[in-house]
Order: sequence, then C-alpha cells, then structure tokens
Amino acid sequence: MAESTVAPVENGRVGRRSSRSRRSSAAREKRKTDALGRRAVELSRYYHGKVETVPKVPVRSLRDFALWYTPGVAEVSRAIQADPALAFDLTGRWNTIAIITDGSRVLGLGDIGPEAALPVMEGKALLFKWLGGVDAVPLPIVTKSAEAFVATVESLAPAFGGINLEDIASPKCFGILESLQARLPIPVWHDDQLGTAAATIAGLLNALELTGRTVRGVRTVLLGAGAANLATARLLLALGHDPHHLTLVDQRGILHAERNDVDELMLRNPWKYRLALRTNGGGRTGDLASALAGADVLLAASTPDPNTVRPEHVRAMARSPIVFALANPVPEIWPEAATAAGAAIVATGRSDFPNQVNNSLIFPAVFRGVLDARARAIPDEIVLAAAQELARRAQDHGLSASHLLPTMEELDVFPHVAAAVGDAAVTLGIAGRRRSHAEFLERARAVMGRSARLVRALARARLTPPLPSARVLREGTGP
Amino acid sequence: MSAGAETGPGAGGPSEAPSVPIHLRAARASDVPALVPLLLRLKRLNEEFDPLLKVREDAEAQAETILRAQLDDPKAVILAAEGVGADKDKVVGFVRALVRERPFYTPEWEGVILDIYLLPLYRRRGVGEYLLRETSAALKAKGAGVVTAEFPAQNEIATRFYAKRGFRAIQQLHARSL
Repeated sequence: MAESTVAPVENGRVGRRSSRSRRSSAAREKRKTDALGRRAVELSRYYHGKVETVPKVPVRSLRDFALWYTPGVAEVSRAIQADPALAFDLTGRWNTIAIITDGSRVLGLGDIGPEAALPVMEGKALLFKWLGGVDAVPLPIVTKSAEAFVATVESLAPAFGGINLEDIASPKCFGILESLQARLPIPVWHDDQLGTAAATIAGLLNALELTGRTVRGVRTVLLGAGAANLATARLLLALGHDPHHLTLVDQRGILHAERNDVDELMLRNPWKYRLALRTNGGGRTGDLASALAGADVLLAASTPDPNTVRPEHVRAMARSPIVFALANPVPEIWPEAATAAGAAIVATGRSDFPNQVNNSLIFPAVFRGVLDARARAIPDEIVLAAAQELARRAQDHGLSASHLLPTMEELDVFPHVAAAVGDAAVTLGIAGRRRSHAEFLERARAVMGRSARLVRALARARLTPPLPSARVLREGTGP
Repeated sequence: MSAGAETGPGAGGPSEAPSVPIHLRAARASDVPALVPLLLRLKRLNEEFDPLLKVREDAEAQAETILRAQLDDPKAVILAAEGVGADKDKVVGFVRALVRERPFYTPEWEGVILDIYLLPLYRRRGVGEYLLRETSAALKAKGAGVVTAEFPAQNEIATRFYAKRGFRAIQQLHARSL
C-alpha cells in the first residue's frame, strides 16, 4: 500500500482503455517502471541521498558558537533539565520526527533489511519536509524481536516530537505500535496501518455520500487482512459500522470465528483473531464470491494482480457497488473492468486513474497537526478526524464519481487536514499547546509554506542542482 | 486473549443451573462426528507450541477410534458442551478426561484432563471454568483424589488458566528428538 507514497505523482493519463490495449499497456508500464528504476539509481548516485541537515540559525563566525554551543548552550540544557517540556520550545524537537523501520516489509520488496530500506525512508523524509514542513529523520534499525524494536524506539524518543513507523511486517507491526503508543508521551503512527486506513476511509465516506449510503447501513467486504485492512476494519467499527455486516477475506477465504486457523491466529495475530470473532455476522463461509454476494462495498488491499477480483464478483454485489482496488503497483481489478461490471465508484492506489487513495494525502498533515498541537498521542479519533476532513475537502472541490478525494496537487488540503487534527487533539484534551482552528490553520500554512519556499530557494541558489540530463550522468560529474 | 474462560462467575455450585451459554452433558456415540473436528482443532493448536507436537496424518482416524473406545470406558469422562440460541444442539466444546492409577503415590487415583476445547465465541465467558468444575466432580465420582491437566509446556494461556484455579506443576515431561 505504501508504494504509492514514493511513486511520482502524475495526472492527466486518465483514460478508458480496452482490455486489449490494457494488455499491451501492461508491457509498456513494465518498461516505464524499469526506466524509472534505472534513473532513480543514477540520480541517487548523482545526489548521494535525498535529505541533509541544514542550519536554521545564522552563523557569522566561529564566535557565534559561544551561543549555539558551549558555553552558552549549557544554560539551555539546564532550563530543559528543570522542565523537560521546554525541549519543545528551545530545540527542534517540536518539529522533528523519526521514520523508523526494521526493513521487514518494504514496499512490495519484502524483508530487505534496514540498510536497503534507507532510500525509501529518505524519500519519505523528503515528502514529510516538502508537504508537511516536518523535519523527519530516516532511521532504519537492526532489531531481532518486537520487544527489542520497542525498547530501541523508546530509547530514541527524547530527540523527537513524534515517531513514524514504516514498512514493518504484519502482524509484528500491530504489537509494536500498541506498545509504543502506550509507553511514549509523543505521537506514534504506523503509516502502513493508519495512513492508508485514513485515506481509504476518507474515500469511502465520499463514495457512500455519492451513492446515498451511510457507514451504519452498509455491508462491507475487506479483501486482504494485512496492516492496512486490519486498521481500516478497526476504524470502520469505531465509526459505527455494524460488525455483523463487515466481512474480512484473505487467502484462506472468509475470516470467521470457526475457521480452521482461528486458534493459530489467537496465538500469532490476536488483532485478526479479535476481528474473526466480532465480524461476519450470520457466519458466512467460503471464498470472496460468497463474501461479496449482496455487499455494498469492497475494500481490497491484497494482491497486485488484476485478476484477484473478477467482474462476476462485482456483478454479484448490491446495486451501485463501491469498489476500492488498492493493491500497488497493479490493482486487484482494472477500473474499467470494475465499471463495466457495474461498479458505481472505483478507486485505486494509482495516480494515473481517478480516485487515488494515497496515504501521502494524510501523513504529512497528521504530523503537522499533532506537532503544532504538541499532542501526546494519536488516538483513533484523530485518525478519523483527518479522514473526515480530507473527505470534506474533496466535497469543497466538487464531489463526483471521478473526484472522490483531493489530488496531490490540491496543496491547500494539507493545512486544513492539519488544523482538523489539531482541533481534535484539543477536543480530546491531549494537546500540550491549545490553539484555535484559525491559529492551527495559519500555523500549518506558515510552516508548510516555509518548507516549500526553502526547497525552491535551495534550487534557485543551485545548492540543490537541477536534475541532470542522461549525458551529464554518463559523464559522471557530480554536483 | 484466552483459550479458557478466565472471567465470569460460572455456577454457584454443581447442582445449580450454569449461568454460562452452554448446555453440558455426557457425550454419546452420536456425538463422535462433531467431537472429532474439535479434538483435531485442539491438537493443531498444540502443534503451534512445539515441533514435537506435530499432528499425525492419521490423527482424524485415531481421534475417532479413541473417542469411540473411551465412550465405553468406565474410567473415562467425556463431556459435550452444546451451544444455545442459534447454536442449540451444536457441540461447541468438549472435555476428555481419564481416571488412572498412581501406583506409588497417594492419592492413588488421579483424574487427568487430556483435552479441553471450546470454540472461540464461547471463550472468556465462564464456560471453561464451568467445564473444569463439572469435570472435576465427575472424576471425583469415579474415585479420583487429585485432578491433573496435560497440555504443552509453552501454552501460557493454559498455564494461567489452571494456575488461577489452584493448579501447580507437579511433574514435567522433557523431550528430545532421537
């Protein structure tokens, strides 16, 4: 799911293509992906990484370090020792987060390890800075167990105002998130769960609105029971979705309380076990087809194969069904096939179709919001507030079956979502810094705006050199 | 998370009707087709704890043979738990226990609980507690002076379930592959 966050954002290639041209375009897409990969390697070699540490104070001469460093800084340390909360006023902690991974499930690459995960975390840090104005430190770590992971992050926390967990294998990721949320006094977020779930729910809320439905009234099938969909299921229940009308389906078919592997789940994946007991009222059994018969909504976050969901599956759903095929890089069913089979609304994880469900619409704004509110946590209420605000923003830009969610170009969405997150933190009583909605909005715009200006200014000053041509890269002259 | 029923008051005494959502009775030969899959679920759960508890390919046939034999064995206690409501007449759990002699120790007869299993929706509702109490009473009636339970050493859920009810480890079974 998180793959979409690092895919280049492109629009305007929205089209209705026949299945024959789709087959040839699949080969074209493969060539295009390969070319992007080669170029990414060349550029990484040229720029030697994507983010760096840049001073935010003037340095006229070494004498200034009597203020920025010793002896002056000792007084700053004493102040924080006396009141640790002052770290958020006197250092960069207020705006600094860690992007932490063990590299156990990176993009679609699997368990590639922390070293190989670093370029992905750098890309995420760049997105955080550019879209959210957040200083994010890429931090892949070597850990053997979930307990060691938790202990390591706990020991790193004093440097950070928040923690973004990334690309950790399921089900290990659930326990790690729960433990860290319980132990740390700062917001902890796992983007593959919460970012994707929030973006999915934002899109779903608008799809329900467009088809005259409500969360409480629909029957929903979730295909895939990994990090994203288990979080989506939990959040849907928090929104009032009837658990009896929620059915999860994975490789073994419908998840239900008497499935043969349910005791194994109790031991290995209690999060999935709890949903097995709570959902699927009426005790449906069988495969995806049995689950989808009469369902209003399909939220697929499973296998990147366009034959995972068949047109006959969609035809068996209720009138005007909603189909989200979110696997990346290839959706579980091509949008035109889903539409031809009767889907009223289709969303994917891709930027080249309408309705991209993209966690990049969520995470920069959520962190902007919790950092500006100095929130002590990110409870589900905040995740839902972000999703609901994102949905409202799409409505303001004119809701339609092909404009379910804002696109990444609608940059004004980010400060609005950030402000909604800040408001939620204040309402929940977990904000260390209470601000009005207008103040949150203004501050988010200011910090995000400065960040975008900084990126442009560095480029104008040629401190970040322009993208080199293939010839420059061949000749190997670095910046 | 619990395989057993760790909460809930259960019945006030053996003679009272249980306040748990099951109907408990002695198993019959006609229950065997329903008991076999439950017994296999328990053995597959045990498999999760240790590679030396890998379930045999013929386990299903074994389960059927053993259950049929023990239903006729006066030293065995096999109880079937039926559900209520939509699950009425459906076997949702069972207990299999055996009274055996302790030739060197007193009490001379022990009632050993070999299997105790409940479908997930019946867990954490006081049913396990009730099953344990009724089984203990049935074993006592057959002459047992002590009740024991066998389960995988790594099964912490079972360990906690029994520990809460006054059980302690008195023997250990250590294994090594040959």
